[in-house]
Amino acid sequence: MSKKRIILAKVGLDSHDNGLRIIARWLMDRGYEVIYAGVYNSPEGVVKTAVQEHVHAIGVSFLGGGHLFYADKLLRLMKENGVTDVALFAGGVIPPGDVEKMKGMGVAAVFTPGTRRDVILQMIDGVLERRGDF
Amino acid sequence: MSEDSEIKINHLEGEKISHFKSLSGLEYKRIYDQKDWSGTLPDAGEYPFIRGVHQDMYRGRLWTRRQQSGFGSPEESNELIKYLLRIGQTGINMDADVGTKLGLDPDYPLAQGDVGLQGTSLCTYEDMKALFKDIPLDKVSSTLIIQPPCSAIIMAQYLLMAKERGIPWDKLIGTIMNCAFTQLVGPTFQANTAFFPIDLQVKIALDVIEFLLPRVPRWNIINVNSRNIRETGVDAVQEVAFVLSLACDYIQGLLKRGLGIDVFAPRMAFFSAVHIDLFEEVAKFRAMRRIWARLLKERFGAKNPKSMWCRVAVQTSALPLSAQEPMNNIVRSCIQTLAAVLAGTQSIHTTAYDEAYCLPTEEAQKLAIRTQQILAYETGVMKSVDPLGGSYLVETLTNEIEERIWELMKVIEGKGGFIRCFKDGWVEEQLNEARYRMADAIETGEQSIVGVNIFRQEGQDTEIDIFQQAPDMQAKRIEYVRQYKKNRNQEPVRKALDFLYDTVRHRPEASLMEPVTDAVIARATLQEICDAMRAACDFKIPA
Repeated sequence: MSKKRIILAKVGLDSHDNGLRIIARWLMDRGYEVIYAGVYNSPEGVVKTAVQEHVHAIGVSFLGGGHLFYADKLLRLMKENGVTDVALFAGGVIPPGDVEKMKGMGVAAVFTPGTRRDVILQMIDGVLERRGDF
Repeated sequence: MSEDSEIKINHLEGEKISHFKSLSGLEYKRIYDQKDWSGTLPDAGEYPFIRGVHQDMYRGRLWTRRQQSGFGSPEESNELIKYLLRIGQTGINMDADVGTKLGLDPDYPLAQGDVGLQGTSLCTYEDMKALFKDIPLDKVSSTLIIQPPCSAIIMAQYLLMAKERGIPWDKLIGTIMNCAFTQLVGPTFQANTAFFPIDLQVKIALDVIEFLLPRVPRWNIINVNSRNIRETGVDAVQEVAFVLSLACDYIQGLLKRGLGIDVFAPRMAFFSAVHIDLFEEVAKFRAMRRIWARLLKERFGAKNPKSMWCRVAVQTSALPLSAQEPMNNIVRSCIQTLAAVLAGTQSIHTTAYDEAYCLPTEEAQKLAIRTQQILAYETGVMKSVDPLGGSYLVETLTNEIEERIWELMKVIEGKGGFIRCFKDGWVEEQLNEARYRMADAIETGEQSIVGVNIFRQEGQDTEIDIFQQAPDMQAKRIEYVRQYKKNRNQEPVRKALDFLYDTVRHRPEASLMEPVTDAVIARATLQEICDAMRAACDFKIPA
């Protein structure tokens, strides 16, 4: 099986990227191929890269409160571009009520501060295994 | 998880901490005595100010309670400022949203999802007036959290507002942050360079300073922000070495413009983090004051003692705060606030307990202010100056940290200074290493966080109130700026922006404060002003 690919990005203007940087390192150590898109991405740009690079998953992170706005935008764009087999993961400072909302919208998993490395990696592994290779 | 709820037998049999290192990796000894330190100390208010910049410190005047405030529209933030002042806040800390900080109006597509989230949305002169409505600008000091190029615009708006309200500029008290590298999430490369050329940002910072110096004599001209540097995960030594090296670069820039050191240095200040390792933090600030004083006197030849004062505003670090059991954060931030008081800092923002979830609610803000008031009015910790001074432990730590800071500053100087190191990517490497190290320390348990990596109870989430934005706030702000741009007199705007463009393009030495002020008077918006400058350097921004 080839390496699973995941794009990690901050969308919008929130540039708090401690968490995303750390996740990037953990995923690389785990054997994932990480496309690190950095800060200030548009949702359109992230989905476009996801299509071009044939990724298995998109990971986005929020601190400023833009999580619902951008999760909704990303999921709509993913549907419009036919990338429904790609999992969307989110993380960051997200209130518990919004975590449930995001899962309801179709985000595969939401990781809030204090989630341990193994929990995050097992969850991502599990989701991508279930979705299989494509 | 059953594993977590099991009774921890090893804790019953003599509870032990696994190591005795400080958060920054210094080794705490079993006990300190006169073999470690047997020196004498100068009085507070005396060079090199290790014991404090004022002789009487908090006996003469308490520290300023300065909680950051700002969310949504300027009108909403104005209400919040008034609320905070009513419950005992003594200074204003105006935080702009990220779009404003980056020079983007709410209607810019990439900015729309972040309007009003991490601060207040400001893009017009009228916004500034709404934000400070009914606030006595000559009685309460305001910190304006904004960096160049927008520090020039916000400062121009503020000064224009004062003029319109009949308040002479020499009565204004406050601070413009005005640092080109540290105002976003610390000196990370992409965050600080994507929306404006970095060299022009530095130039504009110096333009703002040069404009303010003779005209607004009580205003602090720059506040170099090490708090945001620390929040990336670097240690206390790196925090101070980075920020002081950067401050030295600004000093060199101002000296090159022919300004005397004693003309501007008394009006420089710092904004720092207070982490949770109490003695280390107290030692850090004492060391920082001594280094700054020596730098100013010995390297830069300052004569005025005020030039040597390292004045520090602080915000308690959010890194030790947890989303798990958020009430624990009240205890943490209280200890951090105590550290800030024992260290003799000038103003304090106590981070609210709910900030691992959202912007603070009014209730959480109030609790943060009450924390400071309890320390100030009930505990007596402010009654003597530098109460830990002379402690074998604290003096030894102060010396050790100071030595390490000097060493790292020499390394940075050897590489051409902080700005050079930022541009070369060296700073970025240091920050990234620190982030991974921080994550490892928490994963391995080297750094304990109660309720997170030790004594964790799964499935027992505490419910707390969550701050809610008005649902139509963003749409309203977007519509507001669209209408604003449509309904003004266009000719003066065009002329002012053309003049600004020409100045940047053809007269690179000229100060931009005057053309920026003209553009504000003509009712150009924040982004229009930035765009004119960007266009003049053919600079493209992310779409």
